[in-house]
Amino acid sequence: MTRDKLKRWSDRGLLYGALTLVSLASVLPFVWIILSSVKPHAELYSKTLTFLPQQYTLENYTKMFERMVGFGYYYRNSIIVSFGTVILTLFAGSLAAYALSRFRFKGDNAIFLLFLGTIMVPGEVGLIGQYELLSAYKLLNTLTGLTLSYTAFNLALTIFIMRGVFSSVPQEMLDAARVDGCSWWESFWQIMVPMGASGLAAAGTLVFLNAWNEFIFALTMNNWTDEARTLTVGIQLLQGQWQHWDYGVLFSSVMLSFLPVIVLFLLLQKTFMRGLTAGAVKG
Amino acid sequence: MSALDEGRIHGRLGWKGLDSPYVFLLPAVLLFGMFAVYPIVRSLFLSFFHYEFLRPDEMHWIGLANYREILADERITGWPGIVRPQGQLSIWQIALYPLLVFWLTINSPGGAFWNTIRFTLMYVPLAVVLPLILAVFVDRAGRLSTLFRTLNFIPIVVSVAVISIIWMWVYHPEYGIANTLLRKILGADAGLTWLSDPKLAMPAIVIMCLWHGLGFNMLLYLVGLQRIPTEVVEAARVDGATGLKAFASITLPLLKPTVLLVGLLAGIGALKVFGQMFIMTQGGPGDSTLSVVLYLYNVAFSYGKFRFGYASAIAWALAAFIFLVTLVAFRLTRGRDQ
Repeated sequence: MTRDKLKRWSDRGLLYGALTLVSLASVLPFVWIILSSVKPHAELYSKTLTFLPQQYTLENYTKMFERMVGFGYYYRNSIIVSFGTVILTLFAGSLAAYALSRFRFKGDNAIFLLFLGTIMVPGEVGLIGQYELLSAYKLLNTLTGLTLSYTAFNLALTIFIMRGVFSSVPQEMLDAARVDGCSWWESFWQIMVPMGASGLAAAGTLVFLNAWNEFIFALTMNNWTDEARTLTVGIQLLQGQWQHWDYGVLFSSVMLSFLPVIVLFLLLQKTFMRGLTAGAVKG
Repeated sequence: MSALDEGRIHGRLGWKGLDSPYVFLLPAVLLFGMFAVYPIVRSLFLSFFHYEFLRPDEMHWIGLANYREILADERITGWPGIVRPQGQLSIWQIALYPLLVFWLTINSPGGAFWNTIRFTLMYVPLAVVLPLILAVFVDRAGRLSTLFRTLNFIPIVVSVAVISIIWMWVYHPEYGIANTLLRKILGADAGLTWLSDPKLAMPAIVIMCLWHGLGFNMLLYLVGLQRIPTEVVEAARVDGATGLKAFASITLPLLKPTVLLVGLLAGIGALKVFGQMFIMTQGGPGDSTLSVVLYLYNVAFSYGKFRFGYASAIAWALAAFIFLVTLVAFRLTRGRDQ
């Protein structure tokens, strides 16, 4: 009896021990960056490496805001492009999902299959065509161009997710609204949007993450001026410029670029996880 | 189909003018057609042309010449004829798979295609197995499982760009965590050069990607594990199946769709790998970490000639290859069910 108990205790201990170790490994690099960003220059470059700062300082941050002029632009651009993409994608995507889930018309299946089919095509295939297109319309190095491009490549997934969500809204609600004299357009805003709110939130976080973290399109389309660069492109540029000069300043800029997303995730965990799994099960 | 059709409104039942599904579809179709479908089709079209972006006047049809150039391009296919797989894989060849991966790691034939394959072969098996083990552990952690799930999920919400930069410091020969740990734990005095060693650079990137994707794949497995009815597991326990045995005979077969999903997503992602190499190694040292997408990006935008025709062909060839791999994966797993 006691032996069984002992074994169960040791099993538990082993389980928690292993999990703690792996979880620490998952967060260690972030913690290390955060701690390093408040170390003074001398400590960062000293022969004896420290994990916890011996001395705390904010000099890296003040230096960063003084010298990394582009950083503010990158931040602003990422916010504008990401939120723009989320709003545009959710609007166009859920409206289309409404049409495809609630109406029967000529060509409805063909259109849905066209959207679905392109989920399978890697976005990289469109890179060159996209560059030409944006260049022809003078949309290269503009936030509008990048937003339109992100919207297009997130639409199919959004439509797929929202079509499933809207299909489960009870028909009686639409009928009742119809009897009350609602147009379909009004039904969309008054019934579908509130009923599909949690689905919209999940799809929204997925699209937000995709846009905020996107790299190759941003690198190709918006890389001529600081006024057009997003955070992912800007941060690797800063890395290239500063790695031989001052680690501390770089640490602080990297820390500021991952902190908001992690905080947002910790606040909205459930929605994030729902959105990301919904995005994965697409295939 | 029929379930979705139920309750759908037909035209004669009443919509008119602007209050119709065609209008609701319009924004999405316009945006999608212009900024997603058109560029993809345009790339396919361009892949049959000699076309340099800066010299549009010289654009002309060359048929399949771009695709033929891919096969002859040493920076893509490496030393020709060294590792061309022949015939069907037999059981013992599959058993030798780990050795093959090891051999490819040490002795790469070079070239973007083989580098990408090498990366995929190292990444996918571990990206399938490690998160599965983690998920099973987290699933059993009781009240603390939410905490462990959250902590392990954090890396995936951060972009590849930022992750790559952080890991360049992790791998820094002097100040990096990797070498610090090596020195402290193993007592080695020098440590490794990681990203500037042609043999170590690729495995180093693989380790980073495994770390980055761990939480996401774990979550997919957790979702899969929760779908397994508890009665099934209980019944097996009553029959005397415990621990590993129960896992192998009950849980794993029921988890097969999730395993396939994780493997497929990991495989597709690995074949398209770009940002990690672009930021951390620029494809070097030598061409040892040059991936297909990195090469096509360079052909199109960095080597100065803006060879859009050739780059489009590489992109479409890669897409076709990914499609083929997906198809084969589905066939193989479906075949075993029957």
